[in-house]
Amino acid sequence: MKILVAVKQIAALDEDFELREDGKDVDPDYLDYELNEWDDYSYEEALRIMEAGGEGEVEIVPVTVGPDEADDGLRRCLAKGGERGIRIWDDAITGSDPSAIARILVKVIEREQPDMVFAGTLSSDHSFAQTGMAIAAGLGWPHAAVVNHLEYKPGDSSAVVHRELEGGLEEKLSIDLPAVLTIQLGINDPRYASLRGIKQAKSKDIEVLSHGDLGLSDDDVGEKGSLSRVRRMVIPEKGQAEMIEGTAAEQAERVAQIVKELKGAA
Amino acid sequence: MIEPEHNSEEVTRVLFQDFPEWMVVSFYIVAFAAIAVFLYGCYVQIRKYRRGASVNIKDIGHGIADMVKSMLAHKTLKRRDKAAGHAHALIFFGFALLFIGTSIITLDYDITGPLLGLNFWHGSFYLWFSLVLDIAGVALIGGLLYMMYRRKWLALPKLDYARPDRSPEDPDYDRNSYRREDWAFLWTLIIIGITGYVLEAARLVWLAGDPTVWDYRWWSPVGTALAYVFQGLGMSAEGGEALRLYSWWIHGVLALAFIALIPFTKVKHIFTAMGSLALRDPTPSSRLPMVDLEGDKIGYNRITDFSWKHLLHLDACTKCGRCHEACPANATGYPLSPRDLVLSLREFAADKLEKGSLPKDGDALSVLGDGPNQIRSETLWACRTCSACVEICPVGIEHVPMITEMRRQLVEQGDMEPTVQTALQQIQKKGNSFGENKRKRPAWTKKLDFEIKDARKEPVDILWFVGDYASFDPRYQKVSQAFAKILNAAGIDFGILFEAEMTAGNDVRRVGEEGLYQHLAESNIETLEACDFQRVVTTDPHSFNTLKNEYPEFGGKYNVQHASTLIRKMLNSHEIKLKKKLSNNTVTFHDPCHLGRLNKGYDAPRESIQMLGANLVEMKRSRDNSFCCGAGGGRIWTPDPVDHEKPSENRMREAAEIEGLDTFVVSCPKCMNMFEDSVKSTGNEKNIKVREVIELVAECMGLDDAPEPADEKSTAEA
Repeated sequence: MKILVAVKQIAALDEDFELREDGKDVDPDYLDYELNEWDDYSYEEALRIMEAGGEGEVEIVPVTVGPDEADDGLRRCLAKGGERGIRIWDDAITGSDPSAIARILVKVIEREQPDMVFAGTLSSDHSFAQTGMAIAAGLGWPHAAVVNHLEYKPGDSSAVVHRELEGGLEEKLSIDLPAVLTIQLGINDPRYASLRGIKQAKSKDIEVLSHGDLGLSDDDVGEKGSLSRVRRMVIPEKGQAEMIEGTAAEQAERVAQIVKELKGAA
Repeated sequence: MIEPEHNSEEVTRVLFQDFPEWMVVSFYIVAFAAIAVFLYGCYVQIRKYRRGASVNIKDIGHGIADMVKSMLAHKTLKRRDKAAGHAHALIFFGFALLFIGTSIITLDYDITGPLLGLNFWHGSFYLWFSLVLDIAGVALIGGLLYMMYRRKWLALPKLDYARPDRSPEDPDYDRNSYRREDWAFLWTLIIIGITGYVLEAARLVWLAGDPTVWDYRWWSPVGTALAYVFQGLGMSAEGGEALRLYSWWIHGVLALAFIALIPFTKVKHIFTAMGSLALRDPTPSSRLPMVDLEGDKIGYNRITDFSWKHLLHLDACTKCGRCHEACPANATGYPLSPRDLVLSLREFAADKLEKGSLPKDGDALSVLGDGPNQIRSETLWACRTCSACVEICPVGIEHVPMITEMRRQLVEQGDMEPTVQTALQQIQKKGNSFGENKRKRPAWTKKLDFEIKDARKEPVDILWFVGDYASFDPRYQKVSQAFAKILNAAGIDFGILFEAEMTAGNDVRRVGEEGLYQHLAESNIETLEACDFQRVVTTDPHSFNTLKNEYPEFGGKYNVQHASTLIRKMLNSHEIKLKKKLSNNTVTFHDPCHLGRLNKGYDAPRESIQMLGANLVEMKRSRDNSFCCGAGGGRIWTPDPVDHEKPSENRMREAAEIEGLDTFVVSCPKCMNMFEDSVKSTGNEKNIKVREVIELVAECMGLDDAPEPADEKSTAEA
């Protein structure tokens, strides 16, 4: 059997950063790229299924949509297990929203024919939480989002999943394969990828495809293929906090003064 | 004195005197059988070692010379257990002389005599020989008696083999068989010794009428005294003859059995300890074994991954318990005792590698796991690489490199504490374990009223490698600022690397993340190579150790000094001008492992403190026996469980016993971090301040304009 794990090399912000001149994104000088935290968990879950199976019984393939730098994320996965990865990129893909990314991944999935597709519940940079579910919609497969526990033995035709609901409620459901699952943090303890492992994963095969290779036209990807576009990014004004210092009497006086000011303003 | 009627030069002992031929033949059969068993045992042991991985042995000549020296002086055995060391010396030299003596008889009787017609074992040589061996026997028995007394009545905790990290149901819990073996060893040797004297005395009683024997009896004083006792008890010549025959056989068979059993019992330490000492790496913990990252595997997983040298080290252990006693993890109840680790591995190796063939299933050779004699990952992660075990081991076992090798395998498998994983990931991403942005590394310098030179941009005399904790830990940042002020006031030409510095990697390497370590070392060396400087100075003993001892293998050869050495020099040369002294302070100094034990930097901080005029009182465990703060080997990234004592608390309690102690002086950022906690958690914060040597110097120079944290507290409370 085969599990495809959709991963993303996300942009992590410094504490101090500035926006790009066009105001649509953060200045790349202030970004670090790293594997999305959720993907560590979804890949770990796939690894565990692979390890529960016999030699060669389960294949896991990390797949990502992203530029050259995204290879690092795939290597970090391959350092832990798996023999090959897939990366889809060309310039036309720039500006794709989750619906366009999902369209690309659906094509990859149709080609690879996996039994399960894992994705992180969301990515920490844009927090859309849509890609996984959009893939399921595109494929017409059963799906479960925000999975925090998975019971599955290689070879079974269905899996039992637990989902985290509001208010501490948990839903337990069984799902027929093939299926798409988005994985929540905390489902497992992801293992560490040693630097040696990451370096050695450089010898593993990463297949690089363009949208054309997958039979998609320029209108299917990028801004044209997307349902949403970024108009502007802004840093909201922060609320003003004031530390009140001094003796108890001084502090009380200041508090009273603030209350009066607020009342006056109202 | 009556002239003897015989020629004294012909006096000797007649071997097999009055033995029927079948008895002599029987003896030779037993003797050859014993030697055959011995040789077979040696073959099995050597085959076991050869199943280990190959290893480059450097400078074996030096190693052998050192081994002979420490063996003759018994230097390593006398440390921290003088009586046992002296008793061992008695046994060792007694046994060695008796063994050499017996070999001389064999040489004369079985080799040079029959083959060359050369017999030398007679006359004055024989008489002196008798005297020396008689005294050797006393030494042997005396030493053995003390050891028996020690085992039976002193009830030393370090000789209790029960494992604190196992429960009584575990098969490898108390290792009773070791105790039986210890006693069998002592009894066998002492009976061999005693029967030797009985046999000698019985022979004297038997041959009292023969002047070639009796006239020379005082050359065997112990045997002779015993012969008088026998005679006094009414033993006749015939009785003597019979007793001599029985005791001869008991003595002979036991001695031969002893030899036959050497390779199969703890007695083999005679050879393995010598080998282990000769092969000992002089810097086992300060420079960890290099790894080829391109290789198929990394670290120790299977017992066959261990180098043959490490397998030999395992067999050298005599369970003396010195490491068990010195280990800070063991002392504070963590599931690690270096002794038990070594013994588990030894049993594991014996079980898997002494048979004719290796188990077919390679996984059966894995030493990592929860099974009997396997090493648990919690055991490996309990180690702080303080090297107290390696340093005190009388036979040169290299626990820390072995633990690191096994950790390398755990890291490869991703088996580690989540907090360690986070730290390593932060270092991978940002070059520091705090997860701070690189740009923040020099943030501590902003509080100074002068600029520190950028060593990347201009030449400096001293390149100060600041290190992670000295850059980011808020408490230690104050020390870094004080050090900068001292250097500035003394007019020293120095600079730092600002955001280009990455963590030196000492702890990363000791955690077992060798790939990341090598990356860090190579990156830092690249940065350093582009700078123009005379020497590297650091306040952090961890960075100091790795820069000094481990970077050279990666091409980074620098003159590296710890700050304490520089401080001492500046105090001596009066480059540091003191405005006041600490004459009213009673202080103690805690040796950081990576400065003290690993690099022998015991004196510089002490002499500096004394030059400040403080009354320095030593703790019981100091210098080479310093007790680790608990932060080394990456343990600083793992919070200690709240339910048991931390090594730093154990240490602080030891310090608090010093009467009138007001300052606990450290010389390491990680020690500072640990003890600032433990001084509070042990309830000593009101009486004892934790301070760096550097802070004391800055205070005496009048550079500490900022009030002390403890002072702030006391005014706040007032």
